[in-house]
Amino acid sequence: MAMAALRREGRRFAPLLSPRPIAAVRSSLVSEEDIPFGARSISTQVVRNRMKSVKNIQKITKAMKMVAASKLRAIQIRAENSRGLWQPFTALLGDTPSVDVKKNVIVTVSSDKGLCGGINSTSVKISKALYKLNSGPDKETKYVVLGEKAKAQLVRDSKKNIELTISELQKNPLNYTQVSVLADDILKNVEFDALRIIFNKFHSVVSFLPTMSTVLSPEIVEREAEAGGKLGELDSYEIEGGETKAEILQNLAEFQFSCVLFNAVLENACSEQGARMSAMDSSSRNAGDMLDRLTLTYNRTRQASITTELIEIISGASALEG
Amino acid sequence: MASNAAVPFWRAAGMTYITYSNICANLVRNCLKEPYKTEALTREKVHFSIATWKEGKPEKPGNCPLSRTSDRVDFTVS
Repeated sequence: MAMAALRREGRRFAPLLSPRPIAAVRSSLVSEEDIPFGARSISTQVVRNRMKSVKNIQKITKAMKMVAASKLRAIQIRAENSRGLWQPFTALLGDTPSVDVKKNVIVTVSSDKGLCGGINSTSVKISKALYKLNSGPDKETKYVVLGEKAKAQLVRDSKKNIELTISELQKNPLNYTQVSVLADDILKNVEFDALRIIFNKFHSVVSFLPTMSTVLSPEIVEREAEAGGKLGELDSYEIEGGETKAEILQNLAEFQFSCVLFNAVLENACSEQGARMSAMDSSSRNAGDMLDRLTLTYNRTRQASITTELIEIISGASALEG
Repeated sequence: MASNAAVPFWRAAGMTYITYSNICANLVRNCLKEPYKTEALTREKVHFSIATWKEGKPEKPGNCPLSRTSDRVDFTVS
């Protein structure tokens, strides 16, 4: 009871002391509005609330990392197996990114969900650069966008050039049938001389490089065949079955697009999970660092307030005696 | 060159090679025996939402069929 009275005495002198002696403790970790003017130190309640929310965020990001790691393992095997689908095409028809055509269609593959690091931004950046590279008199370039994230970025400045947008691709697990139906829709709705598919190729858990695959339309393949090179050797193949070379080229071109798109979608999904893993990992680490700093602040203010109370009590007591 | 060549029946019907191969694959999947058949049929589910853009504006997005089996075309080879 006496202590309470002494404490009250001590507090009456509070406004006479300098209002903000511990300005240095007012770190940037706690915002200005939470601290009422005239308070002598940061209330520990504010810091404690902050610590609780940071700890929850850390738990959530750790969980997201685990989920992304397990999804990555599952889809990585499929992506690596799907590489065998387009390799024979490249062996037969070659991959000629530098082909010069009038109608280019840029197919950008991206993810629907966010929190996956910078992969969608790099894909969009490369698409835009490719657009600039392929623009010129008499040339026409259009976008076909797969995934919400690239759509959001491209809509901002290239709205007029978007031909198709596709989303909700990953609602069911990815399979070839889905991608081939999609490829079919693209082939039916878009006129092209060359299709350039931009995706993030999965090299390892920490490295995803943006890659471009080119699929030419059968007419352009004919044109390039005359120019020689790999495509010029197509004539040395013998064609069985009563189909002409033009038909075979058309079938091959359609099938090639479907296979390349399938591989691109799978690799991009892998890269998305890998990027999400590393983004969530660095986020958890940052949350851990923030928690350490907040703990230090908390302990400091707690000790400071205890010391202040002790000083008040002792000075009150010595005032009584003396 | 292309005018005298006989176009295969599916191409004359307006299908692309992709549609043709999907239908054939669907037929093969339906020939499987029971436990493998249901697994294989899960690999046929198709879902995405596609929207065509005209003049910078998306038209109403259309969904595509959920399962390829809905579009089966029956034809006989003579």
